[in-house]
Amino acid sequence: MFYPSSHPWVEGETLGEHLEDRGVSRRDFLAFCAEMSAVLGVGSAMTPKVVEALQQARRPSVIWLQLQECTGCVESVIRTGEPTIGDLVLDVISLDFNHTLMAAAGEAAEAAKHTAMEENRGGYVLLVTGSVPLENDGMYLTIAGRTAREHLEEAAAGAAHIIAVGACAHWGNIQASRPNPTGAVGVSEIVRNKTVVNIAGCPPIADTVTATIVHILTFGRVPALDRDGRPMFAYGKRIHDQCPRRAHFDAGQFVEHFDDEAARQGLCLYRTGCKGPATFSPCPIFQWNTRTSFPIGAGHGCIGCTERGFWDQMTPFYERLPDLAGFGVERRVDMIGGAVAVGVTAGVAAHAVATGIHRTRQRKALPVVEQPAAGKEHDRG
Amino acid sequence: MARTKVVVDPITRIEGHLRIEVQQENGRIADAWASSTQFRGIELIMEGRDPRDAWAFTQRICGVCTVVHAVASLRAVEDALDIRIPANANLIRNLVHGMQFVQDHVIHFYHLHALDWVDVVSALQADPAGTARIAKSISPWPNNSETYFREVQDRLKKFVGTGQLGIFANGYWGHPAYKLPPEVNLLAVAHYLEALDWQRDVIRLHTIFGGKNPHPHFVVGGMASAINLDSTATINAERLTDIQDMIKRARRFVHEVYIPDLLAVAGFYKEWAAIGGGTGNYLTVGEFPETDVRDVGSYFLPQGIIVGKNLGEVLPYDHQKVKEYVTSSWYEYPGGDGEGLHPYAGETKAKYTGPPTPWQYLQDESKYSWMKSPRYDEMPMEVGPLARMLVAYASGHDGVQGMVNEVLGRLGVGPAALFSTLGRTAARGIETALIVDRMQTWLDELVDRVRNGDTATFTRDKWSPDTWPAEAEGYGYLDAPRGALGHWIKIRDGKIAKYQCVVPSTWNCSPRDPQGQVGPYEAALKDNHPLVDPARPIEILRTIHSFDPCMACGVH
Amino acid sequence: MTTSTKPPTIAEAVAAATPEYRWVLLWRWPLRVTHWLSAICIVTLTVTGFYIGKPYFTTWGEASAHYLMGWARFIHFTAAGIVVGAAILRIYWMFAGGRYASWRALLPVKTKDWVNLLKTVQYYMMVKQEEAPRYLGHHPLQQFSYTAIYTLVLIHVVTGFGMYGMSNPGGAIYALFGWVGPAFGGIQNARFWHHVLTWVLVWFIPVHVYLAFRADVMDREGEMSSIFSGGRFVRADVKFEDE
Ligand code: HEM
Ligand code: HEM
Ligand code: NFV
Ligand code: SF4
Ligand code: SF4
Ligand code: F3S
Ligand SMILES: [Mg+2]
Repeated sequence: MFYPSSHPWVEGETLGEHLEDRGVSRRDFLAFCAEMSAVLGVGSAMTPKVVEALQQARRPSVIWLQLQECTGCVESVIRTGEPTIGDLVLDVISLDFNHTLMAAAGEAAEAAKHTAMEENRGGYVLLVTGSVPLENDGMYLTIAGRTAREHLEEAAAGAAHIIAVGACAHWGNIQASRPNPTGAVGVSEIVRNKTVVNIAGCPPIADTVTATIVHILTFGRVPALDRDGRPMFAYGKRIHDQCPRRAHFDAGQFVEHFDDEAARQGLCLYRTGCKGPATFSPCPIFQWNTRTSFPIGAGHGCIGCTERGFWDQMTPFYERLPDLAGFGVERRVDMIGGAVAVGVTAGVAAHAVATGIHRTRQRKALPVVEQPAAGKEHDRG
Repeated sequence: MARTKVVVDPITRIEGHLRIEVQQENGRIADAWASSTQFRGIELIMEGRDPRDAWAFTQRICGVCTVVHAVASLRAVEDALDIRIPANANLIRNLVHGMQFVQDHVIHFYHLHALDWVDVVSALQADPAGTARIAKSISPWPNNSETYFREVQDRLKKFVGTGQLGIFANGYWGHPAYKLPPEVNLLAVAHYLEALDWQRDVIRLHTIFGGKNPHPHFVVGGMASAINLDSTATINAERLTDIQDMIKRARRFVHEVYIPDLLAVAGFYKEWAAIGGGTGNYLTVGEFPETDVRDVGSYFLPQGIIVGKNLGEVLPYDHQKVKEYVTSSWYEYPGGDGEGLHPYAGETKAKYTGPPTPWQYLQDESKYSWMKSPRYDEMPMEVGPLARMLVAYASGHDGVQGMVNEVLGRLGVGPAALFSTLGRTAARGIETALIVDRMQTWLDELVDRVRNGDTATFTRDKWSPDTWPAEAEGYGYLDAPRGALGHWIKIRDGKIAKYQCVVPSTWNCSPRDPQGQVGPYEAALKDNHPLVDPARPIEILRTIHSFDPCMACGVH
Repeated sequence: MTTSTKPPTIAEAVAAATPEYRWVLLWRWPLRVTHWLSAICIVTLTVTGFYIGKPYFTTWGEASAHYLMGWARFIHFTAAGIVVGAAILRIYWMFAGGRYASWRALLPVKTKDWVNLLKTVQYYMMVKQEEAPRYLGHHPLQQFSYTAIYTLVLIHVVTGFGMYGMSNPGGAIYALFGWVGPAFGGIQNARFWHHVLTWVLVWFIPVHVYLAFRADVMDREGEMSSIFSGGRFVRADVKFEDE
């Protein structure tokens, strides 16, 4: 991971040499590169390019800022998926600043960061987890006596690439949800003059971060991004369109309550509020924690954690529709709708009856008007 | 004698944003201030939400102890709505929470705490044969060969040779406070790396029951992961076997790597058994209900309170005696700064009154932290592994007494040594061993129940908000890796009306209360605490890290 | 009045034989076709849509042996496609069709329309029965409700295609409707409106059918049949607001 593994990188060594030194065969290395090409969706034709790029790579400096967050994203990354391959990829970098893991503290820590920024100005990769609180002059997060915003702006200025890891850095996440007491925003709200890659999710799957870094090292640019700045190779498809339970959805086979017979058969979780149909994420394909499972695999619907605004948009989590008005419409919409429909029909019927009575009274009061013959009317058809 | 103001900000190798300020005098700490510098307002964000969603919101309080807020929240909602979960769900939650403890404590020891005691650079001078000899003498772990340690050392040498030190840059290497011989340093570095692979493996237990880690999924009323031995999509024999193997690997690592390393390192730092004690009051709400959470007597680790280091008496715990103060915190209360509020009446109204950035010294301010100050019966309380082990020890818990006595014996110190920085770190190891062993019992029971045809994991009574009373309130509590945690919820018309959390790190990192009583971090730093070189404050890191701070938790 | 060199239709013949009535062609076939296509599709969309929203019926056994939700969605999307086709035709007809089909007849554009709207409402509330303004095409209440319905269907189309496009973000539908999610503040909000507005459509149907039916029975002027036959008989002596 982001610690010198038991096989650290040596100055001047290419990845190929490095791997050999680690006892990794050329064949394994090629397999790894092929795997990465697959994860990135660049096709096997690109494998040689990945191989070449990684073989020339020297450890680029990575500075990781941790702002207003829960550290879940850091924890996710240290559980990176592939037991050996994840390690290899992450050995490719030099993690020069990260609160959770670094040995230095206080002034020494800040000094380490400034040194790395100076030595690699314009060349380092900036990872950011956590959001930036803007209310109250940013006093809701200070580090070393300075606001989160100052730290971010300073680090972003010299970065070659900026990767916002996780929902907090992406759009502000839970802190930015109703009523957003601290005025939290994501990285791209602050850094406007550079491309910010958003690795969506709360937290994201580690492999997504890994693969994005490999992409940058291999191609010298960030991967293709969707409308929300998320890499297409990971967020290009909905959970729903890749879900192992999809056949049950199409068949009309649904879990109604957790642990009911349908749940014990592993049927579709749509009716328990699964947000897979509205969520772009690679969970069913990459899976979590060394491809062990993913939320739907464990019998719970997706809560949409890779989507902007999901705490307000995708809640209540166990309803299919959001609680827009804030008083439980989503649960009662069909009840209310049906009741009004019945009411309207009854109203119409009542109106018809009232009209009849009204008409009869009027008719009695008014002189008789000549009516067209019934037979003729029939002819008009 | 002149006092020197010292600031350590950021404190690294913790969760979150912590600033420590002290006044140093004659190589000792005369006074200390602990300030958490991040606020998010999650309690406020909870209001108006569906109580069944609460677990997911509160879970985001912390991604390190990613299970505990979710479970505390489930318990609060289940308490408010009087929902009783099936026995299997209780066992599964124990397994998930148990693995949380084990993984969290091991990571803490190797990746957050070890570098306070282990000099990575010194490991370069080690004789790998010596390391292997030491390792073999303390543990049967298969990797304990000379070749293995030599390999690790060679790579470490190359790494240092590149000049790109990464996360090891600017460490306080060579500080005279480092006491381990190079051979033990090398041992620890090797296991630092091994632990990283290990934690990634065993945490998959969360993924099986909750779909992912961090932030596995839960559900009010039980667990979402159905059990069906004949389905590929559920908890089946294959999944149970995988879990069994993980528990085995976890036990082996804890007993053959973590505990031996802990004892080996501690043996060189015995003076730290007289440093960093602190408040002397300890609180635990107990944990791991083995029948139902309402049955406090069934907890694997007992509930209780110790006041003034008195191991002769364990007081009962009553949550009505919990109050939070904001005297020194950036909040305001309707009744002013002298008032303490029980969490059911709690308020989270942020009001920053500190200086503008850049900050010089917060110690000059009357309010200096985003952390509130919880007090039990008006007393500051230390929570965490040490509190749990002390209460269990004093309550006569067999397993705990056996293990604590063994560790004290191996280190050649008496029970008084527990009230210290070293005691805290040792207690964490002791409970890890006890819990990881107990996990086997829970799994056995789960398998037994399934064998006898009970596969229920969820109760749907009270699932529908239509079955709820118009108003309800509930208290959910548990002991998390870092200590006693409480969630208090009020539900009105199917929505959350109020939500308050009092968290382990809130107790431990609390600032001064109206009576001027300091919190446990501050008390520990003032307790006969050395600080030799203000520019390299490694002693502060040792004691603060011994609490395993989590600021995101504490403030939320 | 229609002028035709062709032999008189039955309707014209009947009109000629009953001098107190005249026959007016209101809706030519494209309008009638689009009306009935839309009507059938809207009912279909509502039924399948509600199943999609809350799939009460479930199947059991091999998933591959069933396709209940699959069919519901397939039919929903097919009907959606037809509605869009019909809407395009109707929009074309708003300009190419006669005055009664014109967009002017759908929007209360003139002040007179608003005054008449009030009068019509009073008429239906049986407050001032005799003063109801007479229209050949839509009276103001109908104008108003049809305009509302068109807007509703438009929102359905937009939100529907917004959701539909998500299954293939590389595709044309997503390219066209990808903005819908963000515009609604998240695709779930779009889903919410898609669902809730369906109920409004449901409420519209009985009122609409009743009004059409009522006009037929009450005024004996073939308001209802006009949507089948294309025209209606009206008393020769009545002056219509929209004539
Ligand atoms: C017995 C059944 C029905 C009769 C007699 C009837 C009659 C009419 C008439 C005369 C118009 C005015 C034509 C126009 O300006 O276009 C109209 C318009 C309309 N009807 Fe119906 N209708 C019936 C059923 C339905 C149903 C079931 C629906 C859909 C749910 C529906 C939807 C509409 C809509 C959307 C319009 C405005 C369309 C337009 O102006 O092209 N109708 N209907
Ligand atoms: C006017 C008519 C329409 C009505 C009454 C209607 C009704 C509905 C309803 C009630 C739902 C369920 C919503 C939920 O709870 O998630 C639904 C879903 C949907 N509708 Fe419509 N709809 C209409 C038109 C359209 C159109 C024009 C499209 C365009 C493609 C469309 C596409 C969809 C899609 C994609 C879904 C979600 C299906 C899924 O999640 O698998 N609808 N519709
Ligand atoms: N609750 C909780 Fe915590 C805290 N403090 C716990 O173990 O860390 Ni993130
Ligand atoms: S995105 Fe989620 S997991 Fe990551 S830091 Fe934010 S709250 Fe934690
Ligand atoms: S479980 Fe969720 S994502 Fe999977 S098919 Fe069902 S609704 Fe779609
Ligand atoms: S909740 Fe998040 S982790 Fe995946 S399955 Fe859904 S995107
Ligand atoms: Mg609180």
